[in-house]
Amino acid sequence: MKKAFLAMALACAGFSANAEQAFMAPLVKQSVLLDVVATDYLVIVGERGHILTSDDGETFTQQRVPTHSTLTAVDIVNDNVWAVGHDAIILHSADKGVTWQQQLYNPDIERPFLDVLFFDDQHGIAVGAYGLFYRTTDGGNNWKSERHPTLLSADDQAYLEQVKAEDEDFYQQELNSILPHINHVTLDGDTLYMAGEAGLLAYSNDKGRSWNRYDVDYTGSFFDIRPLSGDTVVAVGLRGNIFKMKEQGVWSYVSTCAPSTLNALFPLSDESITALGNNGMLVTLSRPLPDSTSTPYTPLYQCERPKEVSVQQLDDKAAVLNAVRFNNKIIGVSANGIKKLNLD
Amino acid sequence: MSSITHLAERIVFGNRKVVVFLFVLATLFLGYQSSQMRLDAGFEKNIPLNHEYMQTYMKYRNDFGGANSVLVSVCDKQGNIYNQNFFDTLKNVHDQLFFINGVNRALVVSLFSPSTRFTEIVEGGFAGGPVIPADFDSTSPEALQLVAANVEKANIVGRQVSSDYSCAMVTAQLLELDPQTGEQLDTLKFASELEEKLRNQFSSEEISIHIIGFSKMIGDVADGAKDVLLFFAIALAITAIMVYFFSRNIMLTILPLLCSIIAVVWQLGLLSLMGFGMDPMSILVPFLVFAIGVSHGVQMINAVEKKAVNGAGAKHAAMSAFRTLLVPGGIALLSDTVGFMTLLVIDIGIIRELAITASMGVAVIILTNLILLPVLMSFLTFDKKYVEKFAGKEEKSSRFWNIVASCSHKKAAPIILVITALLFGFGFYQSQKMKIGDLHAGAPALHESSRYNQDTFLITDKYEVTVDYLSVLVETSPEACTSHTVMKAIDDFQWKMENVEGVQSTVSLASVAKVVNAGYNEGNVKWQVLPRNQQTLVQAISRIPTTSGLLNGNCSVMPVILFMQDHKAETISRVVDAVKTYRQDYETDDMKFSLASGPVGVMAATNEAVKSAQMPMMAYVFGAVILLCLLSFRSLRATLSVVIPLYVVSVLAQALMTFLEIGLTVSTLPVIALGVGIGVDYGIYILSTMSRRLKQGDTVQAAYLAALKERGSAVLFTGITLAIGVSTWVFSTLKFQMDMGILLTFMFLVNMLGAIIVLPALARLLWYKRNEL
Repeated sequence: MKKAFLAMALACAGFSANAEQAFMAPLVKQSVLLDVVATDYLVIVGERGHILTSDDGETFTQQRVPTHSTLTAVDIVNDNVWAVGHDAIILHSADKGVTWQQQLYNPDIERPFLDVLFFDDQHGIAVGAYGLFYRTTDGGNNWKSERHPTLLSADDQAYLEQVKAEDEDFYQQELNSILPHINHVTLDGDTLYMAGEAGLLAYSNDKGRSWNRYDVDYTGSFFDIRPLSGDTVVAVGLRGNIFKMKEQGVWSYVSTCAPSTLNALFPLSDESITALGNNGMLVTLSRPLPDSTSTPYTPLYQCERPKEVSVQQLDDKAAVLNAVRFNNKIIGVSANGIKKLNLD
Repeated sequence: MSSITHLAERIVFGNRKVVVFLFVLATLFLGYQSSQMRLDAGFEKNIPLNHEYMQTYMKYRNDFGGANSVLVSVCDKQGNIYNQNFFDTLKNVHDQLFFINGVNRALVVSLFSPSTRFTEIVEGGFAGGPVIPADFDSTSPEALQLVAANVEKANIVGRQVSSDYSCAMVTAQLLELDPQTGEQLDTLKFASELEEKLRNQFSSEEISIHIIGFSKMIGDVADGAKDVLLFFAIALAITAIMVYFFSRNIMLTILPLLCSIIAVVWQLGLLSLMGFGMDPMSILVPFLVFAIGVSHGVQMINAVEKKAVNGAGAKHAAMSAFRTLLVPGGIALLSDTVGFMTLLVIDIGIIRELAITASMGVAVIILTNLILLPVLMSFLTFDKKYVEKFAGKEEKSSRFWNIVASCSHKKAAPIILVITALLFGFGFYQSQKMKIGDLHAGAPALHESSRYNQDTFLITDKYEVTVDYLSVLVETSPEACTSHTVMKAIDDFQWKMENVEGVQSTVSLASVAKVVNAGYNEGNVKWQVLPRNQQTLVQAISRIPTTSGLLNGNCSVMPVILFMQDHKAETISRVVDAVKTYRQDYETDDMKFSLASGPVGVMAATNEAVKSAQMPMMAYVFGAVILLCLLSFRSLRATLSVVIPLYVVSVLAQALMTFLEIGLTVSTLPVIALGVGIGVDYGIYILSTMSRRLKQGDTVQAAYLAALKERGSAVLFTGITLAIGVSTWVFSTLKFQMDMGILLTFMFLVNMLGAIIVLPALARLLWYKRNEL
């Protein structure tokens, strides 16, 4: 009897400790959700440390997570899930997202991770603001910071070289603050693509140890980059701007005449791709992607939307951050929570 | 007691002409005063100012505006606002509202106010400007297109522009004091200006104007209250006809009505003399005073008639009536007065006003109907014909009274008491389910079909705004908004509150700062967080002006605004309870989450005040009635016989409120006290005769029969007359008047039935030792 009581008391104590860490919110499915990933199961992450899992794309379960920090990105390898976010947090789950442990937490650097990518269950990178770049080679037990000055534009690189020659301390300081935000990394075979702040598009052939920056005639930010079948690579970013790369290193502008920031690319079929954006904008482009005579700076009233581009907008105009196809449904995440998107 | 009565009789009837002269003089003076009476409504009288929540509300009213705002929705009947006529009208409405006296000009907001700005994120940072540029030309289609684009960028659809783009909103806050005179703002004048200068002037084939807000509501209530004159006339006519059938004499009809009207005139005059105005919410009180006056007047003519039929002259009949009725009538009226006075314990201005108005009116009746009326009647002469009319009536009615008197028969009494007990049990069970507060959407004082409520429904339907919101004020130290810890606490608290059932959406400085922070990071939602870096946090917050109502000047106070699905009492108390629970997780010595502001904050306080006032009010009313009964009857049994049926009926009235979905509000709370105050009259009149007879050694049934013969017809008559008069309120344009009408009709009728059915049965039980038939 005494034992049973003790066990119960302990169970209660355990429960309340957990409850303090995570508030199980009825409205979690309508909260700000920032990334989604799916294999045979689906994981969604978002503000306040919200993590939701689903096996069928219909019912979503909020999991208990040891953080309140906003989670910005998530990646899956087999049963392993990693979620990253603000306060430089990295969480890991080895059981498809049900239980979570903290691998890294460093609020003092005041920088968020914005994306995470694992090559296999041991090797992965987490990237974020001001060139934040961490790598693990042991499944996340240890994370090491890297800096990649090659992500800077040629001018900035030249400036840094100069500083480095003069004053090593100041060089480190500058390097710490001059690097652009890394918004997104995409793996395609052996090539790693990167999209980031202030016109940053880059690729790497050695899992991100060294980077080559593309020369793009645009200084606004990019939020996603994705190779399509064939040789075309597409990047989307600020104010509805889309760029395509047909030949290696040559980027050209695709006009949409829909000036809402595009956050992610969702391959709809072999023939078309949808860019998901702020203000609930869903911009679908059919291939081949059209050429454009205008530039990102052409005023809207002079913009002519190519026939290959069609635009729809969600009723609530919520910013859509990403989407996956799961169980024959397209499940998107947005500033207003989970959205079933009707794109087909 | 009787020596005082005799003394009073000698003085009054010894100087009849002097008495009449004094009354005429007083009536002339008070009549003049009452003609100076104005309708008078104020926002603050309707709220419990000393309630904890309202202390907070008053403290920050100047920083965040109060709950007293006015919303004007200008709608295009074609369903699209982007045309020249609409924008011209909207500008006119904005300007006109701006210049209406009493509007806080700093807080007039519409598309045309300079504070309505858009911001967009461009490659180099932010771009922005006023939604309507300074050089706006409504005739130019391009200009309208530009405004349409800016409206989207400004993210005001659903707030300043309706979700379907058919309407645009102009909002303003009201000042409590008139800036021109420095006195209390005349809400009714303001409301009529809204009607004249906005609705009448700008409504057209193409444009409709919809206005809501407390001031407009009270204005509409005042307009509806003017109908009360019509109801008064109808009730007067019905009463006159009934009194005539009762008295069969023109003079005996006119006199009690005249005396009752004099009572009303005195009451209004006295109120005016004391500097009170008539609040639309208590416009029914004069009506009640009249009804109570008639009720006592009928007792008086009944007594006079009984004596006259027995051959006494008018003067002797009047003197005898005066003698027998002064004490029971006086006691009855005194208990009414005291009963109404108990309402003073409720700390809501409007109820206190009602208490003063009603108790004064009833006190006045003691003079007009117990003194003036018999004196006036003593001047009448009754001819033979009149006496003959009643000769057979006595016989006929005595058969009826014999039947009624069997209520106190030893077989009937237990049955009656069992049924009463069952009714009480059932009523008590139902009464526990009585709801507090407003149960329906819109303004509860008005019908759902009223213009005002239709406007409310339109606005809440077309916009994402709701007038039902509650603010929790986070009180902390100056510059606290630059602290990540403070802002994070607010944000977490807000999220928990958003998850409470009944909360539709929420907003606070923290939630807006997060969106601004995302804005500073190219609108990237992944940055929609509270920055830990203080400079970055300051940067985000500095873009949020104090006019947003989300922070005060030094950001030591920041409201968390909770928009609610409705303002039902259950919803309110659920949300308030949640606030009290969750705030414990975040409150520190330096950070308090105080309830409450906003219209629902006011409702929460009012509901709590009403709820907590209900029990004491009942206790005081019954306490007063019991005390006066004990004093006058000097018998516990007599007192119980009067009070128990009263209590049963008041419980049944509460059950009725549950059935009819009438919530306990500021306007319905006093009804039960009023009902008890008036209902006690029947019992007192009947028992005053009964107890005299019982003391002489009569059996209960004999005593009751005697009481019925003497007073029964008057009791029946007054119950029915009052009920018919009050039931006309069911047709009132004012919902609360209708509710009061239903409840008072019920209380008048059922109290009357209680007095003639339950009272004798109870008496039979209490005087069980008497040898009986």
